[in-house]
Amino acid sequence: MSQIEQELFQRLSDAVVDMDEDEAVAAANEVVERGIDAYRAIELGLSAGMERAGQLFDEEEYFIPELLMCSDAMYAGMDVLKPHLRSDGVSEKHKVVIGVVEGDTHDIGKNLVKIMLETSGFDVTDLGRDIPPARFVETAKEIGANIIALSTLMTTTMEGMGAVVRQLSEEGIRDRFKVIVGGGPISQGFADRIGADGYAVNAADAIRLARSLVAPAEAAA
Amino acid sequence: MRRDQMTPLERLAAYGAGAPIDRLPCVPIVGNTAARVIGVKVGDFRGNGALIAEAQVAAYRLFGYDIIRIFTDLYTHAEAMGAKVSYPEDETAFLAAPAIADLSQIDRLRPADPYRDGNLPQHLEAMRRAVDQVGDEVAVTGAVTCPFTNASFLVGADKLARLMMRSPETVHHLCEISLQTNIAYAGAIIDAGCTPSLTDAMSSMSVISPRQFREFSFPYLKRLIDYIHGRDRKVTLHICGKTSGIWDAMVEAGADCLSIDNDADLGEAREAVGDRVRLMGNVHPSEVMLQGTPETVRRATLACLAQAKDTPRGFIVASGCSLPTETPFANIHAMLDTVRDAGWPVRC
Repeated sequence: MSQIEQELFQRLSDAVVDMDEDEAVAAANEVVERGIDAYRAIELGLSAGMERAGQLFDEEEYFIPELLMCSDAMYAGMDVLKPHLRSDGVSEKHKVVIGVVEGDTHDIGKNLVKIMLETSGFDVTDLGRDIPPARFVETAKEIGANIIALSTLMTTTMEGMGAVVRQLSEEGIRDRFKVIVGGGPISQGFADRIGADGYAVNAADAIRLARSLVAPAEAAA
Repeated sequence: MRRDQMTPLERLAAYGAGAPIDRLPCVPIVGNTAARVIGVKVGDFRGNGALIAEAQVAAYRLFGYDIIRIFTDLYTHAEAMGAKVSYPEDETAFLAAPAIADLSQIDRLRPADPYRDGNLPQHLEAMRRAVDQVGDEVAVTGAVTCPFTNASFLVGADKLARLMMRSPETVHHLCEISLQTNIAYAGAIIDAGCTPSLTDAMSSMSVISPRQFREFSFPYLKRLIDYIHGRDRKVTLHICGKTSGIWDAMVEAGADCLSIDNDADLGEAREAVGDRVRLMGNVHPSEVMLQGTPETVRRATLACLAQAKDTPRGFIVASGCSLPTETPFANIHAMLDTVRDAGWPVRC
């Protein structure tokens, strides 16, 4: 990596951690002007910064407001770089369908997981909130998702997660998708009971889980 | 199994005075589970204070716990200020849209009138009826959604979080009008013969930092608590999720009792602030109360007793947060029965 690349990637990363949208855009523009590879700038600059922000969140240095501001800076830089991504050389991404289950509109947790998944190189389809079980299944089939990620903060809506797993089984396609669950009232015990493939206690844990679930498939292929 | 020898009011009064009691106070925080007790749908509570009262009084009589709390969901204040709330036929209501879609509409926001706006009048009606029926034996409280949490329902939680960084004065404005709604409603609750019960989900360290709590939540909480103290009522404050870094501030805001969520450590809370405030908590509402068996509830209840029974300012055995609607009755009975069996002084 050239010195100038290294400096620009560091600026992108710092801009994200410092929640500085303007600086993220300025550094991204410089990447483009100098003809530096946009994919590497995203991965080694913006995403690296978001991972540092996630680390600060784990350490209770940052909280949800800071993480949201970091992600705003990351996406601002991303908007500049994305049109310059070369389609070749970018490996096929693992696909995730994510959403908050029907009857619940608390979506901060889901949004954080989405941001961190995108940061980690997953291709995320965000259905939003208050989503009926059938829509998760339909969308997962449509885009050929690897993972279905379900979120809720309310105990009243936990059962919707079980309904997604049941529908996959009824359609005979359960083994085509990994189902992961998370949110305030959810536990590993609940995940086991409904037959989900995994439970994550927070956004960072969700990334570890998602990576581990797609890793064996890669090894087999 | 032992039977209760005192009414909840007698028990709490004696406990507060350091006099002998038959058992520790116990509050599985029953919300919409009350609908199941009288066989109605959760959605039927909407706009029907008489039915809320009937269900809450029946639930109290069935289980024999120590505080009745008139509560259906967190959104009653925001709804009264213009937020859209969705009411599923038989599940807990949820926020469909904040009161304003755009900050340009912020001048439209007004404090709610508890006697006129949204479902607040019906909740007050439920309180008056509950007091009429059982007010001579048990305390009836009304749930108040505190300023910072209510502010998040006025503009949306994501937007509020960003405003904290980009426009702190806007957040203060939203908290201030929420506080005005809270004070008016708290006053009406007290006039109905009840006690306000404060709940502040978004002020949690699971969402904001202790420093942000100090800046945006604390000043308004303190003024709300000062008002309630001025009306000669004690204050229980519940903040969801992680709270260890703000316990001191919660005490400083004036709370008399902290309701500790299952994501926080009850033993640590006793060490940190148990000499200054009463504690309640913190059996896990979903993992234990909803999904567990009476035996898991018994073990979890005993674990709470072991951690906090000797809290200097007192301890109320409780769930860590409101119980899920479908919590099995046997599990609620099991919590009470465990506390009855432990007796006084507590054996566990």
